[in-house]
Amino acid sequence: MNAIEFKKVSKQFGAFFANKDVSFAVAKASIHGLIGENGAGKSTAMKVLFGIHPPDLGEIWVNDQPVKIHHPIHAMKHKIGMVHQHFMLAENESVLSNIILGQETGRFFIDRKQAVSELDAISKKYELGFNKWNVPVSALSVGDQQKVEIIKLLYQKSEVLILDEPTAALTPQEVQALFVNIQKLKQEGNTIILISHKLKEVLKFTDSVTVMRRGEIVGTRKTSETNEDELAEMMVGRKISFTYQGERKVLANTSNLKPVLEVKNLSIAASAMTHEPLVDVSLALKPNEIVGIAGVQGNGQTTLLRFLSNPAAFSRKCSGEYQIQGKSALRETPLSLRHKGVGLIPEDRIAEGLLLHQDMVENFLLGQHQDERYLKHGVLQRGIAREQVVKKISDFDIRPNHPGIWTGRMSGGNQQKLVIARALDPNPKILLTAHPTRGVDVGAIEKIHDSIIRERNQGKSVLLFSAELDELIDLSDRILVFFDGRIQGEFARNEFDAWNIGRVMGGGQK
Amino acid sequence: MSRWSAFQTSLLHPTVRSFIKSVLGSILGLILGLIICKFAGESPFHILKILYTSCFGSGYDFGMTLFCTAPLILTGLAVAIPLRAGLFNIGAEGQLTLGAIAVASSSVVWPSLTSHPALQWLAIPFAATLGFLAGGLWGAIPGVLKAKRGSHEVITTIMLNFIAAGISAYLAIYVLKDPESTQAQTVFLPEFFHLKPFTIFNGAPMGHLIWITLLGVVLFHLWITKSAWGYKLRAVGENELAAETYGISKQRSWMSSMFIGGGVAGLVGVVEVLGNSHRFKMGFSADYGFVGIAVALLARGNILGILPSAFLFGMLQKGSGSLDLETEKITRELSYLIQGLIILGVASEGLWEILSTHLKTRVLKGAKRKNG
Repeated sequence: MNAIEFKKVSKQFGAFFANKDVSFAVAKASIHGLIGENGAGKSTAMKVLFGIHPPDLGEIWVNDQPVKIHHPIHAMKHKIGMVHQHFMLAENESVLSNIILGQETGRFFIDRKQAVSELDAISKKYELGFNKWNVPVSALSVGDQQKVEIIKLLYQKSEVLILDEPTAALTPQEVQALFVNIQKLKQEGNTIILISHKLKEVLKFTDSVTVMRRGEIVGTRKTSETNEDELAEMMVGRKISFTYQGERKVLANTSNLKPVLEVKNLSIAASAMTHEPLVDVSLALKPNEIVGIAGVQGNGQTTLLRFLSNPAAFSRKCSGEYQIQGKSALRETPLSLRHKGVGLIPEDRIAEGLLLHQDMVENFLLGQHQDERYLKHGVLQRGIAREQVVKKISDFDIRPNHPGIWTGRMSGGNQQKLVIARALDPNPKILLTAHPTRGVDVGAIEKIHDSIIRERNQGKSVLLFSAELDELIDLSDRILVFFDGRIQGEFARNEFDAWNIGRVMGGGQK
Repeated sequence: MSRWSAFQTSLLHPTVRSFIKSVLGSILGLILGLIICKFAGESPFHILKILYTSCFGSGYDFGMTLFCTAPLILTGLAVAIPLRAGLFNIGAEGQLTLGAIAVASSSVVWPSLTSHPALQWLAIPFAATLGFLAGGLWGAIPGVLKAKRGSHEVITTIMLNFIAAGISAYLAIYVLKDPESTQAQTVFLPEFFHLKPFTIFNGAPMGHLIWITLLGVVLFHLWITKSAWGYKLRAVGENELAAETYGISKQRSWMSSMFIGGGVAGLVGVVEVLGNSHRFKMGFSADYGFVGIAVALLARGNILGILPSAFLFGMLQKGSGSLDLETEKITRELSYLIQGLIILGVASEGLWEILSTHLKTRVLKGAKRKNG
């Protein structure tokens, strides 16, 4: 019996088919992977199933019956639940309040006792080992917040659980624990649909897997009968490699080179500006080096990046020293840092990097609006900037290849390539790079990694912040692991090991 | 590419989209207004004819239409410029009131202007500067409060409107009052302060000022779209965080856009005081500051779009008086009703959503039927 079946479902946004004639089936009591690059349409398919976007054409069948799902309430009625990639939790409220939201028991007053006893039963049945019902959600780790989301679905008696990129913010240890729980759910008769772009996890934990590309289904395979290479080829449409294949030039003697960027005993207290304090952080970045910054999100990396790219904003809130090329940089602003050869690829390209309602040329000028190449007598030289953008489009293979395109209409990967092209345009000596491949298609990841390594090989210094451990291990010369606002451990390239780094990310010792 | 997607791609450009929405919204508002006339027992065609004759019927009428339009261009700019930096300026009414009283007081502020014939050519530029500064400083107050203290500009500009009304009343009644008049108005300005109207307008108070206003709009458009300063304003307006990340000060953009916006509102004083009544009269403004909000919204913040948008509202303003006189059942309030309906039409994002989905499914199903 199929728990879920898509029959020729189409969903269109503007001229763009997010889903086109999508048909696939998910067997009951199985773990089904749904994979594809960013923008392949897997999230859209699941939003159609969950009633967030009703389909334009086609049918959805639940338990071999055709159903109409035009609102998440309909989906819940059909016992379908979804854990979104960004959790939908009210952070200041208790776990209990979050779980019973919309399902309150009791006639007039909420019967919390009854709810707690039901939740204890669920926790016991699925061996989740969770009982912090009265703790505010904000006090929980990311892994526990995810558990809350799952328990919430079970409390709603969902039988089909959609998990959207559930491992994106977890350490390797937490990922392991999550999949143990998912196996247990399956044994109890639940169906799990796992959206992911991490092939290794899908291969390890699912029963069958459906691959999507450009809004269409490429095919469905039994997990036991496929492998990483086949799935990757299905996803991208050509053969790709997973680890960086390019040349990694080694300089003869880097140890006596002077650091170009140095931070000494930096402490920043938590304030309205930043929720993540930093405690006594010291690091040095030398030429010809990529230093990776690892850590579970929220352990101070964001504060460090904000400080390094705009120290003047922290002038009265920090203690310690920050030097660039041996000179104090504590009073520098983003523009003056750019002048000193520091390039920035911000954490969140949409929130911090782009003007989505403007074209590529306008976006290319952001931060470069006072560069003498593009500004003459107070007038921005759009023509010159446009020529430069055309050049970058071919250098970085940005698509669509028209500089007049509105950046909000570009895919994540192409937006990111534009942000990188902009950061490299003034030929910086130091590159502060955060999550350069977050939400970027597999094909574009190669290109982005290439350009980062190329910069390093040319003697530049790169500080690489990333949530993808594989990426850090692939690219970095050293990795610094942040935990609770301090550097918990440092790994040299010959010590790289995902499991060990993961343990330090969770607060353990090296 | 299907017919639908080709059609849609051509509409993708945001400026094209907002232009279409504005035009459709205006037409929708007008039609709804005329339907209401029908229910009130007046023929819609009759109403349209009255409006047309009232606005374009004679040189005088057209001059008066332009005279109603000019302040709306200025207040439209006063709202649109801060809007590009992400601020909603509800305070154009207060800014123009203070601008007008500053213009009217220019002969008192610099008495030697009036006594030295050699200085008289300076009178109009001086009065204009005074009006710009008064409106600009009044506008800068909420800008500074927002930048330094984070106070919401909508609240502060509304409050400053009341304060400006109080200040102007105090000045007009106690300080600058014309001793020979029983009304609350300031002294009559000497003749070299007056702007001469065109003779073809048969006495309607509109002259070369209209060219200067048009030129000003074009210059503001170039400033916003081409200059580094304008770029910074727009970047802040579109994405504060990105602008800050790349070293653009949102505080500076907020303060400067509010100063310039307020200053432009202050220039309404030039149109009214130097062009028409030659003195400040309490209550001269036909809510120009508030209609300016509608003008800027209809133009969707596009500086050049202010011109047709202000002209439309200027026509409605001018035509409203004739509706009172020439029909039995319709009063001038109808024109306010139409103004409101136009804004509703333009602002109903949900309506556009429904229209576009409806159109889409029809085209999709049509294509499906053809193919299958």
